[in-house]
Amino acid sequence: MSMNRILTGCMMTGALKNSPPDFAAIASSLIYQSTALGMKIMPNANSADNAALSFEFKTPHTTPIMCGVTRWDDTSRQASVTENIMQAACGLMSVHGRASGRSRPLGLNYVSTLTAALALQGGAAASIGQLRGLSVSNSSVSMASAALLSVGQYIAGATASESPETLLPDRISRPACLPFVSSDGVIFELETLDAGPWQRFWTEIGVSSTVAGRGWMAFLHRYAKAISPLPEELASAISKLSYSHISQICIRAGMAICPVRSIDDRAKDDDSKHVWLQGPWEFVFEASPNDRASTHVTNDLPLSGLTIIESCRRIQGPLAGHLLALLGATVIRIEPPGGDPLRGMPPMAEGCSARFDALNRLKTVREVDIKSPAGQAEIKELARHADVFLHNWAPGKAVLLNLDHDDLATINPSMIYAYAAGWATDSAAHSPSSPMPGTDFMTQAYSGVAKRIAEASGTLGGSLFTVLDVLGGVVAAQGITLALLNRCMNSAGGKVTSSLMSASTLLCADDFQNLYSLPGPGALPKSVIDNVYDTKQGKIAIECCDVGALVRLTEVLEVAIDVQDDLEQCLSDIFLSRTAYEWADIFEQARIPSAVVIEDLADLQTTAHLQPGLSPGPYTRVNSPWSFK
Amino acid sequence: MPITVNIPTILRPLTNNHKRIEIAGFNVLEAIEQMERQYPGVKEKLITDGKAHRFINIYVNDDDIRFVNGLSTSLRDGDSLTILPAVAGG
Repeated sequence: MSMNRILTGCMMTGALKNSPPDFAAIASSLIYQSTALGMKIMPNANSADNAALSFEFKTPHTTPIMCGVTRWDDTSRQASVTENIMQAACGLMSVHGRASGRSRPLGLNYVSTLTAALALQGGAAASIGQLRGLSVSNSSVSMASAALLSVGQYIAGATASESPETLLPDRISRPACLPFVSSDGVIFELETLDAGPWQRFWTEIGVSSTVAGRGWMAFLHRYAKAISPLPEELASAISKLSYSHISQICIRAGMAICPVRSIDDRAKDDDSKHVWLQGPWEFVFEASPNDRASTHVTNDLPLSGLTIIESCRRIQGPLAGHLLALLGATVIRIEPPGGDPLRGMPPMAEGCSARFDALNRLKTVREVDIKSPAGQAEIKELARHADVFLHNWAPGKAVLLNLDHDDLATINPSMIYAYAAGWATDSAAHSPSSPMPGTDFMTQAYSGVAKRIAEASGTLGGSLFTVLDVLGGVVAAQGITLALLNRCMNSAGGKVTSSLMSASTLLCADDFQNLYSLPGPGALPKSVIDNVYDTKQGKIAIECCDVGALVRLTEVLEVAIDVQDDLEQCLSDIFLSRTAYEWADIFEQARIPSAVVIEDLADLQTTAHLQPGLSPGPYTRVNSPWSFK
Repeated sequence: MPITVNIPTILRPLTNNHKRIEIAGFNVLEAIEQMERQYPGVKEKLITDGKAHRFINIYVNDDDIRFVNGLSTSLRDGDSLTILPAVAGG
């Protein structure tokens, strides 16, 4: 039984439709997500609070959970923010800017979308807690905690005790030359996870093996470091060939290729509108006797006492498991015999890759050879007593391993089987040519996200910051939490699938809604001023969402408003007279959204107002985005 | 002058926690076999069925051996051999 509107009968009450401008993008995403889940949205005239966005999350079986969304974890800090200001303040602009040599915004409501997903998940998790005996009535998240979560791995790399990475956007000598451009002007991404296809491809293009090998190292590192300093010879050689010719070489070499498409292109795909209407998760439930749902919490976290089996690699799946662990679940991570090789990826902290540890530190590890019958039997035995089984295997692999939903549902009908996929939430849906690996950069290109980022960043393609892996991980964890809530309320086990592609639809939900002319909150108005400026020392990001903020800015700067045609140049000149921190103090007093652009992620750990979200140690850890009481 | 091998943290339990060791060998395979004699268990962490593991990258100086001659890649005195896990995917 497919049943995607799983929160039908539940209610979200709050001033979502007239929220303060800072929170408008979060409110818009909350409305989209909760509508897709079937929730009834009720306005609340009494909650016009400028300090926070709040809503009640209510199910027929629980008392209302008051969900709060603040700007900062440090609630005494009321500095105005916007999406881009938070990207600047928490290092996201810096990571995105590494590849192009300058800190810059993504051009998407990324932190806002993450915050909305985490806020909704917090309400669902707290409700599960109530149903399992926890006395909880409040859940809160902040935009800052969501932003820090998104760059948690990069912060780990920048603060690791052994040889931390220092990757500052304007000090990287050779910015990436990704994506590639063909002789007939097609912009495209290439992808392979193995050296063999890469070598065959470049050999046929006419590049020497030595140069191809150096390119391979840079190509692999784009996932970890958000840079890809490829040898110039690669882009030069490929630019002499047509896209069609390159595509044929890809087929022969076993390399995947994907053009950078627009949102309009994506909107014309057969499955696109369905995915928008469905939301980023697909749920399938079957009523089942539910002995696990009655387990009680074992501490003050809502998912404590629940067991998750996670068989995932890389980023999206492990992040989902990490988030569930932060909510209190016991996560048993399946790794191959000898352990996940990424444990050894530098930089290291106390014997483990800091980046790896950032996503996996709360888990119990079990080494299992999942390809062997004995290993599969071991997984099934673990699943027998688990609440969730989560994997991010390639399409079709679960069936080959005899570990598909049907295999495990027979053993444990009340379990939630979760698949954090690359391309599609629905196996019958449209997906691009089948051999294409569903990785972050390919899905950015295919989904239209890359083009959106390129248009905002003045670059050719998407971000080497793992935009969709992180959002995909949050969406996967959120889907699992929603499925667990449904299990508590309706005694149903089942399957939840989410994907990088469905996360891309969530991220650009307003665009699709406009393209399909569907009812909904719609795109937000464009800001009057939204830019990053050089100062006497450091950079400052400023965003004036409305004319009122612009007037305050011009008053503070003593600039005449009638010079608006030259305002950008005028601002650029004025900002050189003080340091970024001096300007930030001035603008905070004037309630103008601004932030010093954090370029070195190691600086985050010494930024006072971010301290509640971080923990010192062998590397700086990002704390749980949620607090419950 | 021998070859310097940079040992990744994950293999250091096998090399008495040495971060760098010096070894002799005319090619990468010989160097690994020499390491195996000194530090049993290293070889199986690096090689399966006569090939370097898919999820391990071995570099001679700056060059990934897959793009030179694989495990037959020649070594000269003073070369540096670096072993790193491969990172990929999303």
